[in-house]
Amino acid sequence: MTRADALTPAPPRADQDEIAVEVRGIGKRYGDLVANDDISLTIRRGEIQALLGENGAGKTTLMNVIAGMVQPDAGEIRVDGAPVVLATPRDALRHGIGTVYQHFTLVPNLSIVENIVLGTERGILLDLATARRTLDDLLPGLTLPAAPATLARNLSMGQRQRVEIIKVLYRGSRVLLLDEPTSVLTPAEVEGLFRILLRLKDEGVAVLLITHKLDEALAVSDRISVLRGGRNIAELGPDELAGADLPATRRRVVSLMFGGEPTEPVAALPRTTIADERADSPHLLSVQRVTSLGSHGAPVVRDLSLDLRAGEIFGLAGVDGNGQKELGEVVAGQRRTTHGRVLVGGREITNHGVAVAVAAGVGYVTDDRLGEGCVAAGSIADNLILKCIDRPPFARRGVLHRHAIDRNARRLIAAFDVRAPGPATRIGRLSGGNIQKVLLARELARNPKVLVCNNPTSGLDWKTTRFVLQTLREHADNGNAVLLISSELDQLFEVSDRVGVIAAGQVVATFPRRDLDAEEIGRLMLGGRP
Amino acid sequence: MTSNGPGLGRVVTPFISSLLALIAAFVVGGIFLEARGKDALGAYWLMIERGLASPLGISETMIKAAPILLVSAGLLIALKAGVWNIGVDGQFLVGALLVGVVTPAVVDDLPRGLVWLIAALVGVLGGLLWALVPALLKVRYGLNEIITTLMLNYVAVSLTAWSVKGPFRDPNTVAPQTVAIPRASRLPDIPGTDVHVGLLAGIVAIVVVALLFRSTTLGFKLWVVGQSVPAATHVGLPVGRLTVFALLASGGAAGLAGASDLLGVKGLFQGEWQPAYGLTAFALVYLARLQPLWVLPCAYLFSFLDFGGGVMARSADIPTYFVAMVEGLMLAFLAVATAWERQGGMLGKSRWRRARLDAVETSPDPADEST
Repeated sequence: MTRADALTPAPPRADQDEIAVEVRGIGKRYGDLVANDDISLTIRRGEIQALLGENGAGKTTLMNVIAGMVQPDAGEIRVDGAPVVLATPRDALRHGIGTVYQHFTLVPNLSIVENIVLGTERGILLDLATARRTLDDLLPGLTLPAAPATLARNLSMGQRQRVEIIKVLYRGSRVLLLDEPTSVLTPAEVEGLFRILLRLKDEGVAVLLITHKLDEALAVSDRISVLRGGRNIAELGPDELAGADLPATRRRVVSLMFGGEPTEPVAALPRTTIADERADSPHLLSVQRVTSLGSHGAPVVRDLSLDLRAGEIFGLAGVDGNGQKELGEVVAGQRRTTHGRVLVGGREITNHGVAVAVAAGVGYVTDDRLGEGCVAAGSIADNLILKCIDRPPFARRGVLHRHAIDRNARRLIAAFDVRAPGPATRIGRLSGGNIQKVLLARELARNPKVLVCNNPTSGLDWKTTRFVLQTLREHADNGNAVLLISSELDQLFEVSDRVGVIAAGQVVATFPRRDLDAEEIGRLMLGGRP
Repeated sequence: MTSNGPGLGRVVTPFISSLLALIAAFVVGGIFLEARGKDALGAYWLMIERGLASPLGISETMIKAAPILLVSAGLLIALKAGVWNIGVDGQFLVGALLVGVVTPAVVDDLPRGLVWLIAALVGVLGGLLWALVPALLKVRYGLNEIITTLMLNYVAVSLTAWSVKGPFRDPNTVAPQTVAIPRASRLPDIPGTDVHVGLLAGIVAIVVVALLFRSTTLGFKLWVVGQSVPAATHVGLPVGRLTVFALLASGGAAGLAGASDLLGVKGLFQGEWQPAYGLTAFALVYLARLQPLWVLPCAYLFSFLDFGGGVMARSADIPTYFVAMVEGLMLAFLAVATAWERQGGMLGKSRWRRARLDAVETSPDPADEST
């Protein structure tokens, strides 16, 4: 690695001096969940390092630890060889570590320059002229994306990102953490970002790129660290990346990220399954060319079609944010479509709302357990009847029957092995796994013809995960259809009759059980072309 | 481990902190009085003596409690459903004005019972109409009901004041007021007391609200909406309709309170009349922690304060707004007490800590949500 020392007058340093930040043995737990487990990582000057990992692999937690947002339970952080405590983001900034988050923090109604100097002013007068001069000297070649007086709200996403980068550099950062920087950018803007990163690298800035997009990581990084299950499981240095043959490296990283070889199917499920046998049986769920808009008004589900037959589990693999959650919500009646139709058992339920979908036999286990899945202050018993408040035996003529509600809860608590003192226990007091069991029990108790589950095992321990998968399999075997949305390939392979890959709002490929190919699916999940 | 037991910690803890807030408000209020050179203990004693120990005090307190109970009953429905109806005073005034206009017109031709029924319905209708505008604005256009209901209060004050000067003025007087309802047609007293039957309506309303939330599907659904709109949407409840219902119900109850005051106490609507039960009702409903049956004693307490404030003003030369100040202080202390409770200052420590841990645990990587 050669460094063009245009900015730093110091002579080329020894190897030791190239280390900007070193983290050792970082551990971080949230309750029972281990987000970071003994992670060590070295961030070097003049080097772009990619931190790759699936959602939940622990990369955001690690980034937050280095950025001073989260305090680790164990381990130490060294900056320029000296141990430091980064109690706040300000501490991190003082040690030269700057972070650009996915969600930009610019004030829309301030100009570019004002945004950059915001919070760094000395005294009470705003000296924008000096600020501009400092900016000009900051990094030769790194120019503002527009006139300094332009308001931030008039900038494109790529321009905003460049302002964010300049902002942290202006604050003296020489270590740059970027959280999924390309997720909001157009391909051309991605190119521009990479040019800036390479430029910074030449200036001796240390860059840590947090991403799950493999090809982008390969395109620009000197070093790749792979996180999986909270552990730093592999590091590919410049020698391994430089000149290596790209497809082989890609294959290797995919297998590191997603757990390598496809697991053998469970004995109960042969390689040819119901989906093959009943190829001509009627569809229980039919999604026909559906388009749906996300919260920003852009289509997140795009002209998507999908058919599920009785008795099958259709596994939908995808990296979070590719429209799978929205697809689940469309089927559940919770999100409107702009085009296309949704049929359940031949009956049209498109845009008819949740109540109609529920009546038609749709069950939906949301991934947002506490946010929308349950009423945290309510009892287990109350939460179990939320989708059938008006139905006998729970209510007759608008009057609740507490005994029936209580009996129902006792039965389901036993059947689903919910660990709780009793039906009156507030659901918010339960662990994530037990809340998940309650939500699953609520849906399955209604015996839905079509069950949509979004990441039903996320955050669950091994045993509960087994239980959930087993339950879903049994439900399908009873002649129902299950749409299992997940990013856990191992689990999808274990129980699914077919696996589809969703990317950018479309099902880009579907694999019957006998042709499951983890590597290919992983590649497609990461945006590869079919 | 009281807090982990089913219920005990949940009842005792809020009760103690409500009580502490109340005491703290009186202590601080007393310090203000002393600072102004008044005899605080003497004033408090006077209030208790005249308010709690004299027949007049008890009657007056109960009469005051009637509209407070009705307004509170409506507020309970709204607040439990997560709707902040700040506009109860406006709804009260519009209901009362309509009663003041309609009742004299029908009073001569109909039996008394029917007149009261019509007056009650008209009062409910008035309050309900005044709540309809913010309800529709909220559900249709997502406008914040706190702003719209609050602003409509000012509109209601001006509108009613103008109405009794103009279109609805009693042509036989110069004063800006509606035609008086004959004494014989006003609400009778509860037998053996000097308290008109509006109090019974108030108690019934509170009991109805208690039953609504204890054992009906409608109350259950309203509660779900109040707890979490995303959850209500997720399980398919008609959130918009339930929200409208909650606002209309609280508006209707406020209008009924207007009818009760007009038929039971005032007999006519005078310009600039604005008893403003809203702040009192808000304070006491929160003091009662949104528990309908707790509202009954709390309403008595606040009516007593109201009456006692008058006594102190007349006999101890303490401004009438002192009581409003104590109420405000109490709300502030209650906010502190609940925050304290939540952080585990009292008995609820382990419960809250666990709820927080669970919340984190379910979303393993808090910032790793998008992409």
